[in-house]
Amino acid sequence: MSDDVEKGAGKRGLLRELTKGFITTNPLLVLMVGLCSSLAVSTRVENSVFMGLAVIFVLTCSNIIISLIRRFIPEQIRIPIFIVVIASFVTIVDLTLKGFFKPVYDRLGVWIPLIVVNCIILARAEGYAYSNSVGRAAMDGLGLGMGYTCVLLIMGLFREFLGTGKIVFGERALVDLGSNSMPAILIMFPGAFITFALLLALLQWHKARSKTGEEEG
Amino acid sequence: MIRDILNLALRLMLVCAVAAAGLGFTYGAVRKNIERMEREEREEGARKALEPAGLRAEEDPSLLEFLRGTIPDVEGAFKGLDGSGTTAGYAFIVKAKGYNFMRLAVGVDAEGRITGVAVVKQEETPGLGSVPAQSEEYLGRYRGLGPQPPVLKKDVDAWSGATFTSGGINSGVRTALEAFERVRAEGGGIPR
Repeated sequence: MSDDVEKGAGKRGLLRELTKGFITTNPLLVLMVGLCSSLAVSTRVENSVFMGLAVIFVLTCSNIIISLIRRFIPEQIRIPIFIVVIASFVTIVDLTLKGFFKPVYDRLGVWIPLIVVNCIILARAEGYAYSNSVGRAAMDGLGLGMGYTCVLLIMGLFREFLGTGKIVFGERALVDLGSNSMPAILIMFPGAFITFALLLALLQWHKARSKTGEEEG
Repeated sequence: MIRDILNLALRLMLVCAVAAAGLGFTYGAVRKNIERMEREEREEGARKALEPAGLRAEEDPSLLEFLRGTIPDVEGAFKGLDGSGTTAGYAFIVKAKGYNFMRLAVGVDAEGRITGVAVVKQEETPGLGSVPAQSEEYLGRYRGLGPQPPVLKKDVDAWSGATFTSGGINSGVRTALEAFERVRAEGGGIPR
């Protein structure tokens, strides 16, 4: 897939690298990698925002660095080098959150360090950045990162709003229904699966509809 | 053969060295902030735990050092100073196991009675364990108990639907009382 995009170079090609992450190769809804952390952190919009930003940062930076040094990396030791690069960026994010956004850091907990083993990032390093130019790798990372963040945001909005009746950002409630009888199951683990399944179903429905549209037209 | 291996090792080492340098730099930049945040969190908890008795919290690193070897669950130690600046109690930051990990601040007065319990950090199940852990009323039920370690379901009721959390809070309080006894045994009455 990456090979034939490589041939159609130019600005449009780069833009396509960026936008493909939203729908066509969305890491969560289409590639279905990195699901575990997304199900766990999407309990709140705020968590989704920070987790998404963390993933965008790590994915983009590791893609850029790996693409930059790809000719320097012998094939036999590429995986350890990928892991070192990825783990370094994750640790940078971890320390920064711990130092400047303590409440968020406490809530995201172990999921930030676990970005190291997030399939999205290693898969993009191995399958894309290692064999593509820096610009493309950067766009790929940015695009897939944003696609991930979008899904996380939708899930966070759905779960926090319907599960608690509020949307809290920082210390302030942006929206507050003032209700105490919201279905809290949505912010617990089963709610994550239900929400994710609904999103998947929505995407499949959209796909099926546009397919029949094409056939008729 | 050996040259290939050396080549790989050197390249890997170089990447690791650059990564280590980058991380060292980042850590240097955020270290002060991290330490400050953690201190503020502890101080806030100790303040809440001692406030009901009108005591002012002052962190005492040497007290923590003294306790740490024997009671590893103690993560912070504060002196409770009264209006004239004499030590009239203590607050201990302890870790405890509820349904998940939690961190409590427990204030103890000179006689070993609980002045207050505050939750510094908790990750209990939302809507179940989080309810007693966030309830000042429930945590307040420990006030005045001690120096005998309180027994759950006898001295303090367990919160229904959150037995693990109640047990965690109880064990945290007991750890703090143990720490207090240790301080008292060492210094006789109120040391230092």
